[in-house]
Amino acid sequence: MNKGLLSGARALDLTDETGFVCGKVLTELGIDVIKVERPGGDASRMIPPFHQDIPGVERSLYWKAFNTGKRGITLGIENPRGTEVFRDLVSRVDFVMESFEPGYLERIGLGYEALRAINPKLVVISITPFGQVGPYSHYKGSELIAIAMSGVLNNTGDPDRPPVKESLDSGLFHAGIAGALGGVMAYYHALMSGEGQQVDVSVQEVAASRLTSSILAWDMERVSLTRDGHKSQMGPTSTDWFWECKDGHLFWHMLGGAFGAPANKALSDWMDEYLEENPLREVTDWMKFDKAGIPQEQWDRFADAIRPFFLRFTKDEIREQSLKRGTNATVANDPHDLLESEQLRSRGYWTRLEDPVLGSLEFPKYFFQSRDTENFSLTAAPQVGADNEVVFRDELGLSTEKIDELRSANAI
Amino acid sequence: MPSESASQFPAAKGALAGVKVLDFGWAIVGSLTGKFLADHGAEVIRVESTSRPDMTRVDRRYSKSSHTSLDDKPWFAHLNSSKYSLSLDLKNPRSREVLDRLIAWADVVNENFTPGTLQRLGLDYDYMKTINPDIIFISGSLFGQTGPLAEEWGIDGTGAAISGRLNLTGWPDRVPVTPSSGIYGDYVVPQMNAVAVVAALAHREKTGRGQYMEASMFEVTTQEITPAVLDWQSNGRLEGRTGNRVVNAAPHGVFPCTGEDRWCAIAVFSDQEWNDFVAAIGNPGWAADARFATLEARKANEDELERLVGEWTSTRDPHDVMAYLQERGVRAAAVQGAEDIIDNDPQLRERGFLQTVEHSVLGPFGHQVPPFRLSATPARLRPAPGMGEHNEYVATELLGMSDPEYIELLLEDVFR
Repeated sequence: MNKGLLSGARALDLTDETGFVCGKVLTELGIDVIKVERPGGDASRMIPPFHQDIPGVERSLYWKAFNTGKRGITLGIENPRGTEVFRDLVSRVDFVMESFEPGYLERIGLGYEALRAINPKLVVISITPFGQVGPYSHYKGSELIAIAMSGVLNNTGDPDRPPVKESLDSGLFHAGIAGALGGVMAYYHALMSGEGQQVDVSVQEVAASRLTSSILAWDMERVSLTRDGHKSQMGPTSTDWFWECKDGHLFWHMLGGAFGAPANKALSDWMDEYLEENPLREVTDWMKFDKAGIPQEQWDRFADAIRPFFLRFTKDEIREQSLKRGTNATVANDPHDLLESEQLRSRGYWTRLEDPVLGSLEFPKYFFQSRDTENFSLTAAPQVGADNEVVFRDELGLSTEKIDELRSANAI
Repeated sequence: MPSESASQFPAAKGALAGVKVLDFGWAIVGSLTGKFLADHGAEVIRVESTSRPDMTRVDRRYSKSSHTSLDDKPWFAHLNSSKYSLSLDLKNPRSREVLDRLIAWADVVNENFTPGTLQRLGLDYDYMKTINPDIIFISGSLFGQTGPLAEEWGIDGTGAAISGRLNLTGWPDRVPVTPSSGIYGDYVVPQMNAVAVVAALAHREKTGRGQYMEASMFEVTTQEITPAVLDWQSNGRLEGRTGNRVVNAAPHGVFPCTGEDRWCAIAVFSDQEWNDFVAAIGNPGWAADARFATLEARKANEDELERLVGEWTSTRDPHDVMAYLQERGVRAAAVQGAEDIIDNDPQLRERGFLQTVEHSVLGPFGHQVPPFRLSATPARLRPAPGMGEHNEYVATELLGMSDPEYIELLLEDVFR
């Protein structure tokens, strides 16, 4: 197997948690991604949870999760001596990723135009809560703040409680991947034309991009879709998506026509084995069943029978029966289920990475697979300044005296 | 609908100008993969068929669209901008005369059928490689092309459940809730597919070699919860659902405002941020209480803290809360709905979140732009195609068929 698709390319990653995932995608493509942190390590190293619950710059599991595969240096880019070294680095790389407040890099003389003057082919990927320009561009953000503004938060939660956030940092994760996509497109363009550019990503906009159904409902019919608990409103009727079982939760969704017929019938037949009264029997031909046309009252009767039915079974029983019967019910996994998943194991998804502090833990190895190239995370996230010597001395050719000078000026 | 945008600064060419894509993508994941490439200048030929039209060509939700036409669905228009449409009956043996030439023409093939489908049609990567040795091939699926669950099918809700994301979404005392109308993997995975395609194009420029690649919703979205997977391994902890709370901030939540079902979000992490917040809301007496003096104390008394913050917000408009607190350095937002983001949000408007495109049936309306801005080569959207709109163009101009040859295939009912 050959190295990752973009091996040979180089990148500097100055992001905080807003942009970690972008650099992680690039490093898995084989790009040499160097995390550039302020001397002592970035503040984002103190995001919980921590290894063995003991806080420390080398112990953040959040930081370690999304910085695998990267190398690490420390450099005070505001420090005049540090600026000089940074400019030298910029002349040697293909990408710079950053998530500073818009305007900060300009203020210290390292804005996009200044970087372009150093390296015209450079791709600068900027990932911020609201984007580089516009009336909210200087607003302070976070995962919660950006998704609140995107419309995503409003669509999530039980109707009788406030809107509720989704999973961990879904918006930042999505924005990181959007940044990587814009970044590789810009890199391809630079390869073909010699022209670099800036990629501007707004977490708010990336999250809003998921809302096609809400956008259409408002734009076409002035209908506001609201949060619907564990259900999903696909058309006029709101139908249940997620259900409780004995020891967890599962996804089962009724689809119409040929798509849904086998699974609908399989569930109905399964229910028949246990229930005297089974409202799903009202449907005689599932192939002709029009899910979009089901009245709310009929669906509610179905759901009232399905809900206690699923509660009879454990997660393992649901998994087993779903495969056997084709009901297409899917158990909601917890982290340990994921680590044990035969599907993920058989594909080599988990990889053990050795970290001097964390020891040996299992991490996801890839975002996608290729037959011909290895697009993998191969090393644990870097310790603070782990690659200072190699990068400053061996790659930039700085003398020991010069490095000492930078150190005493607190630039590294 | 407001949407000024990229069109004010037209680029001569998109970033992917000259790239040729044969697109078998369907539903959301496959359609968006092709759209991201097409909106940035690639020539994308969508292969489809009237006998099994894409679900978004018949989905009448949120539109006054007809039962009969395949060309008037805004849902399809959003997901398939800038593409060409070739209608082709893959079950007709003579369709192969068109397909083989398209395979030879293409740089990239995109597909997201249930694993095994293209193989059964005799159109898998290994076959395509015999015609075009350096072709770049991307498959999208739910579980991956291999493994015991490869041929299981599902939708975005399936992805939420299997990835572990669902069990982290909602309240600790309730059934987990549908993550934002049940849409995440459907939008994240096509971005990853497109990353893989564009990286493979650059790789081919340098090495001359093509690539077979595949991504699954299961694997891409599981990456999102890696911190929870490490927390389990390192600390044996299953954090589960926490509502809007996080360990390192308080208050961190959604609070009531004036208006029906209106809310704001406030996030206070460090002690400095707490001081700024307290000053911003006018140093109320309760804020000086020892119960709220440190993050640890605020976490221990979070129910009471949230009640008090909610009292302050509940007499205020959500956008006023945002503007007022942001001016004072506090992370705050209005919880916005569709009306806010489409009609009223000046930030999204300035970014050109929606680009007005004149659709042949639906007229002009705002289309979603790929959610990143390339300064030198911005996205430029053209309307989504009607079913088979470009049959003649593809056959005669692109593939160079003679008129009699095209007409013969037409009479053989190949283009349907």
